[in-house]
Amino acid sequence: MKDATAPAGDRPARAPRGPRRPPRPASRRPPSRLPLNTGALIVFVLAAFPVYWMILTAFKPTPEIQAETPVFWPTSLTLEHFATAARADGFAQFWRNSLLVTLTCVVLALVVALGAAFAVARLRWKGRRGFVLMVFVAQVAPWEALLIPMYVIARDTDMLDRLPTLTLIYFMITLPFTVVTLRSFLTGIPVELEEAARVDGCTRSQAFRRVTLPLLAPGLLATSLFGFITAWNEFAFANMLIIKNQDDRTLPVWLSSFSNVFGTDWGATMAASTLFALPVLLLFLVLQHRVAAGMAGGAVKG
Amino acid sequence: MSRPAPAGATGGVGARVRGLWPYLLIAPTVLGAVALLGYPLVRNLLISVQEYGMGELIRGDAGFAGLANYREVLADPEFWEVVRRTLWWTLLNVVLIMVLGTLVALMLQRLGRAMRLLVTSGLVLAWASPVIATTTVFQWLFASRLGVVNWFLTRLGFASFEGFSWTADGTAAFVVLVLLVVWQSVPFVAITLYAALLTVPAELHESARLDGAGGWRIFRSVTLPILRPVFGLILCLEIIWVFRCFAQIWAITGGGPHDATTTLPVYAYRIAQSLHRYDLGAVVSTLTVLLLLAVLIPYLRQLLRQEAEE
Amino acid sequence: MTNWSGLIEVTVKIRIIAGLSALAAAAALTSCSAEPSSDKGDGPRKITVWIMKDSVTEDFLARFTKDFEKGRPDLDLDIQIQEWNGIGEKVTAALASNDAPDVIEVGNTQVAQYSASGGVKDLTGKVDDLRGADWLPGLAEPGRIDGKQFGVPWYAANRVVIYHKDHFAAAGVKEPPKTRDEWLAITEKLNTGKVQGIYLPGQNWYTLAGFVWDEGGDLAVRTGGPWKGALDSPEALRGMEFYKKLQALGKGPKDSDEAEPPQAEVFAKGDVAQVVAVPGGAKIIEEANPELAGKLGFFPVPGDSAGTPGATFTGGSDLIIPEASAHHDAAYEVVKALAGEKWQTDMAKTMSYVPNRTSLASVIQDNEGTAAMAAAAAQGRATPNSPQWAAVEAANPIKEYMTAVLTGQDMAEAAKAASGSITKTLNS
Repeated sequence: MKDATAPAGDRPARAPRGPRRPPRPASRRPPSRLPLNTGALIVFVLAAFPVYWMILTAFKPTPEIQAETPVFWPTSLTLEHFATAARADGFAQFWRNSLLVTLTCVVLALVVALGAAFAVARLRWKGRRGFVLMVFVAQVAPWEALLIPMYVIARDTDMLDRLPTLTLIYFMITLPFTVVTLRSFLTGIPVELEEAARVDGCTRSQAFRRVTLPLLAPGLLATSLFGFITAWNEFAFANMLIIKNQDDRTLPVWLSSFSNVFGTDWGATMAASTLFALPVLLLFLVLQHRVAAGMAGGAVKG
Repeated sequence: MSRPAPAGATGGVGARVRGLWPYLLIAPTVLGAVALLGYPLVRNLLISVQEYGMGELIRGDAGFAGLANYREVLADPEFWEVVRRTLWWTLLNVVLIMVLGTLVALMLQRLGRAMRLLVTSGLVLAWASPVIATTTVFQWLFASRLGVVNWFLTRLGFASFEGFSWTADGTAAFVVLVLLVVWQSVPFVAITLYAALLTVPAELHESARLDGAGGWRIFRSVTLPILRPVFGLILCLEIIWVFRCFAQIWAITGGGPHDATTTLPVYAYRIAQSLHRYDLGAVVSTLTVLLLLAVLIPYLRQLLRQEAEE
Repeated sequence: MTNWSGLIEVTVKIRIIAGLSALAAAAALTSCSAEPSSDKGDGPRKITVWIMKDSVTEDFLARFTKDFEKGRPDLDLDIQIQEWNGIGEKVTAALASNDAPDVIEVGNTQVAQYSASGGVKDLTGKVDDLRGADWLPGLAEPGRIDGKQFGVPWYAANRVVIYHKDHFAAAGVKEPPKTRDEWLAITEKLNTGKVQGIYLPGQNWYTLAGFVWDEGGDLAVRTGGPWKGALDSPEALRGMEFYKKLQALGKGPKDSDEAEPPQAEVFAKGDVAQVVAVPGGAKIIEEANPELAGKLGFFPVPGDSAGTPGATFTGGSDLIIPEASAHHDAAYEVVKALAGEKWQTDMAKTMSYVPNRTSLASVIQDNEGTAAMAAAAAQGRATPNSPQWAAVEAANPIKEYMTAVLTGQDMAEAAKAASGSITKTLNS
């Protein structure tokens, strides 16, 4: 995605052509980019349209939303739906709750996972294989099914109705994935770099902090984004474990009740969805290059 | 929790006897997994062999039921119907996602700079939108009245789609869910594969081309082998993801109409939360995990082999 | 595979990321310090009451809270409005917790399962104090299990037809219909041009239940032993047949219920001649479109023959006190006030509800909407009295059945499938 990292895709095919004709015209670049570009446009439209439609509906005046012929390009925009959504009871409070729970969980998972990933990627020890297997299998955990046991445990330990309970659960939901990907990223960074630093007089942890950690940054980012999305989205536990303390509800719970409150007021519902998607979309759009590059780096070593 | 398996404490790069260090480093992870995942799983297992309904949940005095719950679930033809549906659901989605994702990745590789930026932006938008938001959007797109999809199909000449109710018909509801899940997943696959494609050295392509290999041959003999590990990982993640997919189905169809979209997670949730048969729900979820592990065994074995090699 | 060229660039970016993580860490710290401390202090005790969305007006709640707290300086009433979506899970979680809300409003079709669960306080000894001798049976019975009273009747409401007087006049309809055949004929007459004869969403299963009862059928029957879904009986099929005919005389969506979109809002737009709703629905309609004030009329859902109105579903709510509530006495005071004469009268007047005791019925006599309802009340029916009925509603095969029939699937077959599903749920 970054040009620096894209040696293959970008370069115009200046491959010297031998006397032999290429067996298929398809392998020649110049002839016509039209079909390819048309395909690309279709993919773009299919991918982006639902998001576009969400944002557009959120800004459209109600008569245009209810027009029998959909209005694809609005003649006027309104903030009325956002006002409706934001005025709904406790919106700001729930937004804050969600952000708090999500960020805490992501940071916690990153710190804990970094240790585990380092141990797996860099050190040799007894039980490593078992540990890796455990982490991988943990990704299969049936979280929806653990609702009731989790509820019972939380109740018996007096942890119901508290945001930290949610944070801990989200931490565990995101942890396995975080360990697996961070470990892949770490494997991708040559140990030689660290060793070189140690030759220069760094201690092992200094070498890790000064050399490896910076290189790991895209990986950390990519992983944390996934953790962020997972925790940001979670509904079932938030709905079941926050009972009486209604001020501690999170955004997904609010959003689910929202469509009830406003019935098929699609404008307000889409405005609420937009506000819900906003932080993730922004984060992604700003960081997409690094994340994608990071993903490749991590996954290749899978 | 799995106990340490015998692993080679042999030398290697960076291999030094570190004493307690590795164990200290993994301790928080293990602790978290035991307390927040292992223990609830054990409790879940316990519930599955008890008689556990709403009363027991409230009073906390469940009696032991042995394997009766398992027998009840396994004897229910509906359960097997749901299993079949879940496998079909997973297969269909994963195949679509992997094929489309690969095609888009290959396309990205061939696009010009501007076009590529455009398409990746679109993909990233779809990728990053939170599930709950996009699920709501799909409900709006497929709304029977004023939904864009019905309008579009009617315009194309399919008059029967005027006011068509997508959630009333089993097949139609299934189609909507597949479209939603595929739409949500393809960007991840495409972008990851594309990024992986970038690591294929250009020289390999060129020398293959010099040898007169066609597009398909280059893909098979040069690209594919390099992509294989990434492919394996993504495939695995997608299987897990699609198999366990719950929120989308629950929000859009609730498993209906007439159970046409009830997959195992939905089934387990419904038994537990609507019928308040938490014991049967626990049975179904236990069986779900076993089934998923069975599906993933080939990959787990490969994973273990890789670990051994390293 | 490492991108050597990318390394340098990445190193530069580390500073941004370091900044980000510092932010995140700060947020993490805040989350620990900002945790609310539970109020175990000496202040007034907080009494939490769960009221369902739209069951009473906010204004009513405000008046009640003020009045209740007056003279009770030690109590602080915290009324929380609950959404219908996922309420079953929510109430279960509350009943099973260690610190439940003190009073919960539950629908009369759902109170039985909670009463049977053991998580609700037994109020049998308080029935006399609450003057429960003439409670409405449709509310009292579901709240009673094995002779013990758990649920306290709060309010009831029967479905009636709300109509738009202007459209009736324009179509030359002078009198509301007396029989179902008349109703069809009139509705057909009303259904012209822009005007919908009736707005009946495809999944208004309470209304269907009325037709089914009228024909002599039922949703489910119990003959001695297990329950059996009965939507496939000939009587029930006739009820559905009628529903289908009626539903076609308007533009009601075939795949959603009266809450989505809220039918009051649809009616408020002015192009709908009739809608089946509780009389209080007229208040919401007028609120949404004040121009309709004075233009709304009511009549009972017509029956088979003139003289007897059709059977209708008696909806309503009970109040329960969870065992896990920490303030049983204060909770009881709330229940007693809400179920007592003063606030029952108030609710009957503001919300057009049927009061919880038959002896209070006189307070609603001079109200047009409730008069229509009172006529229907004699024909009021309830859903099958099984603790499992709430589970049927949670998955609701009846709604699926209705949509299937209305979208052209075979009625007998769909009815059989739905009945099978009801049978299975009721007996599980």
